Amino acid sequence: MTWTGFLSPSWAWLFLLIIPLLVVYFLKLKRPRFEIPSLVLWHSVINDQRVNSPFQRFKKHLLLWLQLAILLSLILAAMQPFLRGEPGSSDNRPILIDCSASMAAVDTRGGPTRMERAKERIAELIEATLPGRISLIAVGAGARQLTEFTNNKRILTKALDTLTVRDVPGNLVDGLRMAQALARRETISTVTLVSDGNFPDLQDTAGGQKIARVDVELPFELQFEKLETATVNMGITAFNARRQTAAGAADSLTPWDVFVRVSGSPTEVTSGEVLLEQDGQEVGRQPIALEAGQSKRLVYSLQTPGISRLAARIVSDGFDGLSTDNTAYLELPVSRSLLVWCDTDLQSYRHALQVFPDVTVYPDSDASGQPDVFDLAITETTQKANPNLEASVRLVVGEIPEDLAELVTIRTGSSPVVDWNRGSLLLQHVNLDSIEIADEPVRGDDVLDQHFREAGYEILATGRSGPLVLARHTPGRQAFYLLFHTDRSTLPYRVGFPVLIKNAIDITRHAAGLAEVGGQPTRVLAPRMLDRNTTYTVSGPGSSPQTFRTGPDGMLSGIPAPHVGIYRISENGSEVARVGAGILDAGESSLASADLIEPRDEELRVGASTTQIDTDRPLWPTLAWIAFVVLLVEWWYFQKKTVRVSG
Amino acid sequence: MTTTSPGNQLTTLLDNQALTRLERLRLQPNRRKTNRTQGEHASGKGGSSTEFADYRNYVPGDDVRFVDWNIFARLNRPFMKLYQYEEVMHVAILVDASNSMNFENKFERARQLAAALGVTALMGIERVSAYVVGASGEPPRVMPPSSGRVSMRRLFDFFERAECGGDAPIDSAVEAMLRRHRGKGLAIIISDFLTPTSLARPFNLLYSAGLEIFALQVLGPTEIDPELTGDLRLVDSENGGTVDVSSIDELHGIYHEHREQLQEHVRRQSRIRNGRFLSISSETPLELVLFDLLQRQGWLK
Repeated sequence: MTWTGFLSPSWAWLFLLIIPLLVVYFLKLKRPRFEIPSLVLWHSVINDQRVNSPFQRFKKHLLLWLQLAILLSLILAAMQPFLRGEPGSSDNRPILIDCSASMAAVDTRGGPTRMERAKERIAELIEATLPGRISLIAVGAGARQLTEFTNNKRILTKALDTLTVRDVPGNLVDGLRMAQALARRETISTVTLVSDGNFPDLQDTAGGQKIARVDVELPFELQFEKLETATVNMGITAFNARRQTAAGAADSLTPWDVFVRVSGSPTEVTSGEVLLEQDGQEVGRQPIALEAGQSKRLVYSLQTPGISRLAARIVSDGFDGLSTDNTAYLELPVSRSLLVWCDTDLQSYRHALQVFPDVTVYPDSDASGQPDVFDLAITETTQKANPNLEASVRLVVGEIPEDLAELVTIRTGSSPVVDWNRGSLLLQHVNLDSIEIADEPVRGDDVLDQHFREAGYEILATGRSGPLVLARHTPGRQAFYLLFHTDRSTLPYRVGFPVLIKNAIDITRHAAGLAEVGGQPTRVLAPRMLDRNTTYTVSGPGSSPQTFRTGPDGMLSGIPAPHVGIYRISENGSEVARVGAGILDAGESSLASADLIEPRDEELRVGASTTQIDTDRPLWPTLAWIAFVVLLVEWWYFQKKTVRVSG
Repeated sequence: MTTTSPGNQLTTLLDNQALTRLERLRLQPNRRKTNRTQGEHASGKGGSSTEFADYRNYVPGDDVRFVDWNIFARLNRPFMKLYQYEEVMHVAILVDASNSMNFENKFERARQLAAALGVTALMGIERVSAYVVGASGEPPRVMPPSSGRVSMRRLFDFFERAECGGDAPIDSAVEAMLRRHRGKGLAIIISDFLTPTSLARPFNLLYSAGLEIFALQVLGPTEIDPELTGDLRLVDSENGGTVDVSSIDELHGIYHEHREQLQEHVRRQSRIRNGRFLSISSETPLELVLFDLLQRQGWLK
């Protein structure tokens, strides 16, 4: 391998231009005339000079040499020479670019962001790899292929220029999986990852290094180009609120405890103030000082008359590397009673619900108007059987979902509970031991638990022949299915039954945001119940407005929120909702960086390289600059007075 | 020294003070090359001057006026007193008036030196003739042989009217002079001696004509030290020929070598013919040349 090469050696024919340059130079050399008394001595001098060195006449032609230097520099620049760094520059090379929130950090006051430094490095990689084909892949919360494999520099540069940081945690696994998928259809020997090393779930090794373990097999060599980091940062990593338990539904003002967790730099002491704003007004301000690696939770108490939008902001005393994690948003809901639909046949449930003071059960006895949407629906039938009944949380008793009809059937028999998920929200603290159940769900032949998972259901309790309790979570909806009818079991007579109802109420309260609400993180906005079959426009920071349409259930979901800030949801120009999103990720705010990446095969552990890897370094810009400088020298030399006229 | 001609100056070439000093100086040739006409230079032959030379025996027919009677009285034998025979010396002054002399005060300085040396010759009772040669093929301007103080005005007028112009090389100028010159003595050649041909032939002609050679080279400062830079097209002032020189500043060393070779050539050609050679700059003050350089070199005494 030679140390250098040319990308366009065909331009070497331009060297022929040297001939006309020489001819024109000597033909058109304009010499000042200078009269002297006699040429006798100068004839002797010239003859002597020619005899001594026939080529010296070329040697002293500085202008000629300068012109030759310019010409040679331009020709060499046209031939695009490069210093060869590594073999395989013509290979297909995916370049994974970390564009997670931490890439917006600056490591020195007033310095470039990590993304800006990464772009410079990637631009060099592009120059070095061309004419090899490159595919740029942005790795944020997911992986996005910015370009197909191409050696079109304009396309690559344009894609690189438009790449921006997304205020979301990075997902390295997605990026590697995309590269893995590309490797199946393209020949890829090396994948380059340009990142600051801030990946989720970093672990410390015995040697004091941080390692990122990724559950991906790498069929290629991974080059991890780690940007040098040295950042001090303080950020909000959690923002939530809990309604004070003493509050009643009838109070006009709802008291809340608001919690703001602030994490500091893992290596430096940080300090500042945390401001809490309620609907744009400052309602709290607390100083905070954090030791290295420490995090603190600040508590604010406030009362809200209705919906309140909270914003927490950090005002740092010193240098703060990442500004986007200094703000978080939270929306406190209106306090109200839970609206529960409970079929009149389910007397045991209605009886159990009576003990909750802030729960209104429908249908009620006076048969007055009832709401369109309930928070909890306890029914004996599925939603399809009762399509007008809308509820965020549904508890279906003694009914098998229609999509599971082929997987499980009910037969009469005795079915003891074999096991249940004690950690599930619905069954926590519920003892199902020794419960007699007259209905026995039986799973079909060759039906495995996996089939239920594939259908979107989680098995919470299992009987002898099949599942007894199932859960299904969809965006904005939760449904729990008791495949046996509780009236045909001993469960209503056990202590676990009111606990089960209490758990269902708690789940509903959380789903309705009435008990505890959390700050909206970036990535995707939480689903929101709005009008059915309506088109809404969502405009957020750093992105153009997008339109989304609600379905028959009125749920608006899947709204991307890649940046920190306020997202406005409007219908026909009028704002119907406003949601703020913050990073709220301890990993991103810590700005910790991995030294190693360990794929599934531990032997292929990849070390970070903070020094730039050897790459094909293009030389044409240098040559172009040399030509320019030589041109300036020639201009100066030409303008210089060349003759001192005596006398 | 001023070269202007205020009303009380005898000539525009030399001021009166210098003329006064010049009147006390005499040319000092290496060899006596005189003519039979009586002059101030003692010949090897006996003569009738007042300068005693020797005695010899009296032979019949001798002029009894030269018998030393005191010795005859003591020795009773007649002895003839011999006296130095003083003959006149021709001084031919040749001034190169080609275009090459029309630079940097060279011709002006040549005229001044010619006038000054002519004055010393006239004051030494020599026969002085002067020649100014410019263009080749044209007859030179000639001042016929003159002698005595009375010819000083004539000498000054001749050189004051001398003009520069032409392309005559020094060898043809010498030939032109010798075609008109008669008599032995001294040839003072004032030129830059920038000639492509050897000086052996013209100097041989001068030597065989009985003229001792006083070669006085006058060069301009640029010729002595050409501080030129860059790429130039040098133009010959005499024939319009050109030479393209690149990076002329790099050739100064070679130029100096060739200039010194030329001067050594002229010096050698003069010396082997018992002549003298001196090279001066046209910028050198005239008093320094006349009353220091030429006296120290033995040209004047």
